[in-house]
Order: sequence, then structure tokens, then C-alpha cells
Amino acid sequence: MAATIASQSSAALTFDLVARCSVTRARASCLTLPHGPVQLPMFMPVATQASLKGLTPEQLEETGCRLCLNNTYHLGLKPGQEVLAAIGGAHKLQGWQHNLLTDSGGYELVLGAFSPLLPGHLLQQLTKYLQLSDEHSISLQNTIGSDIMMQLDDVLVTTSPGCSSHARGYAAKHTQNLFCIIQGGLDLEMRRECCEEMVARNTPGIAIGGLSGGEAKADYCRVVATCTELLPELKPRYVMGIGYPEDLVVSVALGADMFDCVWPTRTARFGNAVTKYGVLNVKNAKFGVDFGPIEEGCGCICCRKGDGGLGITRAFVHHNIAKETVSAHLLTLHNVWYQLNLMREVRDAIIADRYPAFIRQFFANLYPNKGDYPEWAMGALHGVGVDLLEDET
Amino acid sequence: MSFKILQPALEHGLAARVGRLAAANRTPIDTPTFVGVTSRGAIPHLTPDVISKHTDIRVAYMALEDFTEKSSKRKSPAIFSQPEDVCRPLHAYTATPSSTYTILAPRRTPAVVAPNGNGPKHISVLTSTGFERLTCENYCTAIKQIMPDIVVAPADLTFSSATPGAKRQVFMVQRTQEWLDEFFLHLDSEKTLKPSGIHVFAPLLPISYPMQWKYLNHLSEVHAARLNGLTLYDAKILHDLKNHPQLLDLPRLSMDSPESPQQILQQVRLGVDIFATPLVNNISDAGVALNFSFPPPAAGSSGIQPLGIDMSSEEHQVSVTPFMEGCGCYACTKHHRAYLQHLMNAREMLGWTLLQIHNHHVMSEFFRHIRLAIADGTFEQKAGEFTKYYESEFPLGTGVRPRARGYHFKPEAGQPRINKAPWSKLEGEGTPDQVAAAEAAGLVVTGPAAGGSETPLVPDADTAALVREGFAKVDGV
Repeated sequence: MAATIASQSSAALTFDLVARCSVTRARASCLTLPHGPVQLPMFMPVATQASLKGLTPEQLEETGCRLCLNNTYHLGLKPGQEVLAAIGGAHKLQGWQHNLLTDSGGYELVLGAFSPLLPGHLLQQLTKYLQLSDEHSISLQNTIGSDIMMQLDDVLVTTSPGCSSHARGYAAKHTQNLFCIIQGGLDLEMRRECCEEMVARNTPGIAIGGLSGGEAKADYCRVVATCTELLPELKPRYVMGIGYPEDLVVSVALGADMFDCVWPTRTARFGNAVTKYGVLNVKNAKFGVDFGPIEEGCGCICCRKGDGGLGITRAFVHHNIAKETVSAHLLTLHNVWYQLNLMREVRDAIIADRYPAFIRQFFANLYPNKGDYPEWAMGALHGVGVDLLEDET
Repeated sequence: MSFKILQPALEHGLAARVGRLAAANRTPIDTPTFVGVTSRGAIPHLTPDVISKHTDIRVAYMALEDFTEKSSKRKSPAIFSQPEDVCRPLHAYTATPSSTYTILAPRRTPAVVAPNGNGPKHISVLTSTGFERLTCENYCTAIKQIMPDIVVAPADLTFSSATPGAKRQVFMVQRTQEWLDEFFLHLDSEKTLKPSGIHVFAPLLPISYPMQWKYLNHLSEVHAARLNGLTLYDAKILHDLKNHPQLLDLPRLSMDSPESPQQILQQVRLGVDIFATPLVNNISDAGVALNFSFPPPAAGSSGIQPLGIDMSSEEHQVSVTPFMEGCGCYACTKHHRAYLQHLMNAREMLGWTLLQIHNHHVMSEFFRHIRLAIADGTFEQKAGEFTKYYESEFPLGTGVRPRARGYHFKPEAGQPRINKAPWSKLEGEGTPDQVAAAEAAGLVVTGPAAGGSETPLVPDADTAALVREGFAKVDGV
């Protein structure tokens, strides 16, 4: 266990910096939350409706997950605030002993409102049904009892100062942490302004939001790099909605610590397996007669041989994709394990101060041909001192 | 395989009995017991780790028709193409742990009725790509290749709820007998079956004894020594089994699907040893948690008790009690009714998983206590108490069932649709609850839609994801 370099605490959170990459802005740290410590950088799987898509909380725990997301908007609809209050919060609802993070719920309303297929009168109905005010969002997240809750941000009016008095005056200070969210779209000036504002609010952690909305990857990287430069070192930095492995590895190099995304679990239900050599569409006919594990050498319970491993083959997963829920569950187990393990490897590499070499190997695995390396990744990594094309010495 | 009757039935095998079934390299199993019924090689909603850890399922029923769909992409079904060093291919393909026994039969249970019926030389089976003909020879070849522990010999069955006409019954007996003779021609007991550890259960037909006594004679006289068990499609045939003493000591697998624990007790009383009943899977899919024990609790004053609880009901919304009072299963010790109600209401797949864990546990306990009661001679008395204590039917589940598939059922003309449309018109007649419709329209896309199994009105992925997933791309191209 690496020693702590520096730490900072607030009422319900301690941030211990464990290692800094000597080349990039990557850092390894330990975050202690009300339901136990978590190791950063980390990926957080999304259990939208208080259930991680078919996995039992025990199975999720076995992947190594100690912090997962719930969605405030969905829990506000089902089971609803009254029920949550009566049960005593979302941890008790889903039998989860570890940490929970909840978003503000604003993003889902925007998603719904801008759905081109949603008739206007239906939107009115919906808005009537769930008017999400700042106050309501915080009150809901209080009832949920998440270890980390997010301020209600305004995704559309990107200069919103956010983090209103309600948010700052939230109730459960000693058992919950409120993270502010930096907005500002792709406008770096706005982002800088927002960073300044948010740092001044001195929340226990800071999120970078408004990304992962289909923007160009190069723009995304510029925003993350701009923000991390301005953020205090001893606070966790959470980039919302990021989950592709390349994005995680690059974002860590840019100085981000926490990520969440539904992609790994959703794509599992579409029949896709995330592996270090890229995403496999196991629905493809060739996998029907492929009797190897989902990913050779993977340590997840599906792929592992012996030692409690299940000996699942690609052929069996293929056999039941879109036919029996078990195949979705198996791929979900694998993909969640892949994402968490990727971040464990990232962390080990940072602590051993060999992160640039790790990044090069990671991209070499994904792209056998260096000519296929994505421009955006090369550019972003170049900005933090890593030349992807450099040969290992 | 050996079957020892530990607690012999009193007269001619016509009573409840306790036995122990053991095959080489497998842990023995005590009977009466029930088997896990798989769909396409998987116990619905349960991954193999959950099965090992949280259930006591020791036998898995599998149907060959679940593995033999035709595909333009390959010559023969994938299950037959496994590497040669795999020692039990059916186990390996389905990731079934080696401690579990597999039973292979041609058809699922319940089986979809084949509109064209069987022919003199084939059974009609339903694969996920349509009906196919399965000849006795093909069945035998498949058995040799995939090596189940137990195989149910082919029978000419209609699977229809109506009793077949007298003429049809004559055919059924004739064909089943011919197929059994042919079966042992293809699979020699000494050369093939025994060395491979494959055990044969001969079918008894769901028709009256006078119609099939000759077939039973044939079984006793010609095949008895090669048989390891009997498969009953109607448990009532046991009344007449005493006329065939050579068959009495064979283990009896019931495919005569009981629909309630009372019917199970009734079949146990007739001398059934092993139950392959889709009952548990059905109950779980209906969102009902089993809530009975054997013997029943000391009678209270609250009247006849229900056999199960509809977990979708709003009355459980804030109930932090176990699904069933005093139950020791994973689901009851780690979770509560409120969570299950939420999962059913939000159509989260975990709901069915937890129900399967609980319901299989209740069933295992039910059978464990049946064995104890037979052993100590209290079975009849306790079975009587059970019948008095509980209602005779399960409550109806009000939850949304998992999406039914073509290999689960074939709708008959005029039946209402089994799968509810994920969305519908807002205006006009029969307008559904607007909020529910909004959810169905994709704002909260969950359940089957999120399972990637149907297309919600609003795509469940953004454009980038669609491009990545290969939007509208044909499989394998």
C-alpha cells in the first residue's frame, strides 16, 4: 500500500493523495466515504433504478465495486420519495452496504424534453408529474441517502452558476457529500469562469458535467484538461457520463479521478463484450462456435478457470443472447469487471510511476496498427507529455 | 447408475418412498426431489454462480430442441462442434457444474404443440428458428455426442391438453415401442451407454393402462435390464405398475406437471421420485413468491392460507420483511418485500432472479421435509394437514412477465397477445394511464426494452452508440 502524500478532509469525506504520475496529470488516491474507502481513479457502474441490471448486489460486490450510481430522477418516480423515506434510504432499499452516488436528476428531464418523438402535451403531463426543482432534487437525494450527491445543474444554460443556497444548505452534512458541477459547454472561457466560481464554493468534490453529449472527442479533452488545471489537487474530480475504455485512460492522464456510464452494462444487454482488444459483438455468428472464454486471460467470474470460475464460453453467451436473460447477466458481470479492473490496473501503473508506458500498451492492444490510433487521443496525450507513437525502451 | 430405495413403499411400490440416486463421479441425490427446468440450457434468470451459491438445484432438465436450431451460418448446431477434449459436452456447453446431473429429453417442458404432429419416423420439435423433424437416429447421435447423465427415450406424445383419440393412442404405443427398440439398436447398452455414463429412462405414455399394457410388458421382458428409470407423462399409470415387478425398483421421473404442492404430494403418494416441473419458473415469472412449508405451521385461526404472495402488489411497498417469514434463502436474508416490489414495479430483471432464488429454495425445503416425513412414517398425516392448511391454487401474479419468446409458446388463433406492446396510442379508446404511456414511450426505458430485446419508441442509445453497435446491421455481415 502506497503511503499518503497529502490529504484533506471534510465532514463526510477524506481525500488521501497516494501517488502522482511524474509525466501526466494522473494521480492515484484513496477516497474515504461514509460507507467505506474507495480507490481512485475509479469507474462507477450505474444501477439506475436501484438495481444493476440483473446482478445481485452480492455479484456486484464481487466484481470489486464499492461505489455505484443510482438515478435520482428514476428513484423519484419509482419507488418515490415517500417509500424511500419509509424504508430508510436507497442503501436499505437495495441491500447495498457500500457507497452510492446520485446525480441530480436534471439531465434525465432534459433528455426527455428534447426527445424529438415526444409530443408536447405529453411533456406537459410529465413536467406536471415530476417538477424537479433544485430544492426537490436535494431533498430527494437526502432521502435517498447517497454518499455523494450532485447539485442540480442546468445543462442547457451553460453559464448557470448552479449550486444555489438550497444546495449549500443541505441537511445531512455528516453523512452525505454534495459535489458541485462545472458547466460551460465547450467554451473554455466559460468553463474557466465556472471553475473559479465552483472552487470558491468549497464542496468536498467537484464534477465536470455537460460532456458526453456527442461532442468531438478533441473538444471533450480540451474541456477536461482546462478544468483539471484549475481545480485544487486535494479534491476528487468526477467527469460525468464517461465510460469508453479509451476515454477513461486518456481522462485519467488529464487529471480526472471518477467516471460513470451506462454504456458497459447497456452494451452487455445488446450482446457486446468489452475486452482489452476492443468490443466483441458476441451476437456475431462466428462466436456461436467459439468455445473460448469471453476474454482470454480475464479474471472475471465468467472467464476465470477453476477457483470458482464458471467456464462460460462465447458460444454459450451467443446461444442465449436476446433469448434468455442469463446471457445479458453474464456479459454484464464481465463488462463491469473489465471496467473496474482496467481502473485497478491504471491505479497500479500510476503508483509504480509507469502510467505513460501503460497508456502506450493499452492503445497498442486496442489498435494493432499504429496508423489507426485516434487523433484526439494522440493530441490530448501529447498535451500532457505522452507520445503514443514512441517505442518502449 | 444405482437407485436404492431407502424407505421401501409398503405394497408393490405403490406409495411414497425415499430413495437415493447415484451415478459415478456425481454426488448422490435423495428422492423424492425436483429438478431445475432449463430454457436453452439455463435456469431462467439464474447465472451458474448464483445457482451454485444460492440454490440446491442438483439436477437440470434440458431439451435437445433448445440446442438444434438451423442456421445458414453453420452446418451443424454449435453444441456438436465442441473441442474433442471436452469430457461432458452438454455440461460444458451450458456451463453446468460437474456436480449437477443433466437430464436430456427431445422437448421442453411444457412443450409447444406441433401443428403437424409426429410422423412414424420422427418427433416434431420446435427450435428457435422453427419446427424441425427429429428422428430416433438423430436423437441417438446427439446423445452420443453431448453425453447427458440421463436421457429420456423418445415417445410419441401430442402435448395437447385434449386426450388423443383411440386410433391415435394405438399409434402412440406402437411408435414409442418401435422407437425404443431402435434407440437401443443405435445406442448399445454395454458398448456405448454404460462406458459413457449415459442412463436411459423409458417413457410411459399419458394414456390408460389397457391401451399400453403390452408396451409395458415389452419393457419388462425385453428392455428392463437396460433401463435406469421410467419417465411418466401421467403419474396415474403407477396404479398399474404392480403388474410389472421388473420395473418397480426403477426411479420414476414425473413429467406430469403438477400445478400445486398438493398435486406434488399426490404424485409422491403414488410413488414418484423425481419431478421435472416448470411450476417454479412459471411462478417466478408471474411475480409470485412461494409461501408454504411442509408440514404447515401449527394451525392458526386465520383460515386457509395462500400458497404464494403476489410481490407486485402495492401492499408490500414499504414492507421490510422477508418474502416468506423465517425463510433462510439469500433473497429473504439479504433483501425484503419492498425491494422486490420496487423491482417488479420498475420491471428490473433482478426481481425475477431473486424470486427464482427464493422459490427454488422453498421447493428444496418442501422436498427435504417430504423425505423426512416419509422416513419417519408421518407423510400421510402431514400431507393431510398441508391440504387443509393451504389454498389449492396459487394466487395470480399481477406483474409484467418477462417477454415470451417464440420457443416458449405458439399463440393459437384468437388468443390475446402474450407480450404487451411496449407503447400504444395515447388518444382514443382504451387509453392507458398517461404516465405509464410516457414511460413506455421511452422516457424511462427499462425492463425488456432495456434488455435490448425490443425497440422502444425513443432509441435506448444515442447516435454514437448506434453507430458503434452497428445500426440495423445484419448479424454476422
